[in-house]
Amino acid sequence: MKLLQLENSSAQRIYDDYIVRCKKSLKILSEEDKEDSLLEINSYIYEYLTANKENDKDAVENLLNILDRIGIPEETFKELIASKKISQAVKTFNPKVLMQALFLNIQNGFIYIILSILFLFLAAFPVLIVLKLIKPNDIGLFVGNHSFFFGFADSKNGTELLGNGFIPVSIIATAVIYFLILFILKTKRQINNTELLK
Amino acid sequence: MKNEFLRNWDTQLKKGLLPLFVLQALKKKECYGYELIQELKSSFGMEITEGTIYPLLIRLMKEGLLVHKWVEQSSGIPRKYYFISETGEMNFDEMKKNIEETLLKVN
Repeated sequence: MKLLQLENSSAQRIYDDYIVRCKKSLKILSEEDKEDSLLEINSYIYEYLTANKENDKDAVENLLNILDRIGIPEETFKELIASKKISQAVKTFNPKVLMQALFLNIQNGFIYIILSILFLFLAAFPVLIVLKLIKPNDIGLFVGNHSFFFGFADSKNGTELLGNGFIPVSIIATAVIYFLILFILKTKRQINNTELLK
Repeated sequence: MKNEFLRNWDTQLKKGLLPLFVLQALKKKECYGYELIQELKSSFGMEITEGTIYPLLIRLMKEGLLVHKWVEQSSGIPRKYYFISETGEMNFDEMKKNIEETLLKVN
């Protein structure tokens, strides 16, 4: 991205500082999305400064005006980041991106709360697999007369049924939950698009 | 002269109608951000800041109502032009119809 070169050194410092803040707020996005957003913000600044060049205000004041109009980067980019992360999560199949997407969208509807709970289950299975290797007798599927435990339990609570099969079952469960989350996210987007076309 | 209640009501009404105004402006011609702000000011008397229009454009793009293209400029600072999509046109007609129907009830 071509950065603006301002004649006034104080204005230049304020501008540079603002761009750094924007970059910091956008760092969670992919390089392409980051560049796109920075280009757009840069364009807003440039167009405003060009259109208001002839007024009596000085360069610093004009710059402060447009930065004020754009707003605090963290707030201005909030919605963009939340929406881009969902698209990224569905496209990349990256668990880290998925976690960020769910966290950023948790206020955007009940479905994201459900998905976040599912994600917690998703994170629990790998932990259980490691614990199974460390404490094989305490981790498993315990079934008693009136009880059912999947995970960490005392052998008094019932008979452990899976044995070493607990590990492949946990791996399969992790994969199933992971693809279920992605499937729900994709379906939700499709439903939104269909509703728009109605 | 408008009293405070009417001024607040007017602001809220325009705020609610902003997506419709944006679609109408872009139906007329494709615009880049700053140009769209000026267009909203001259056509609808709305004073919108970049911090308001930017998230709205993102939302309308996400919903598939708008599309964009980057156009290089001699200054080296490209402009992002927004224009209305087919879905956007359909939604605009529906939104306009809804408003007209609602207004008919006010008598």
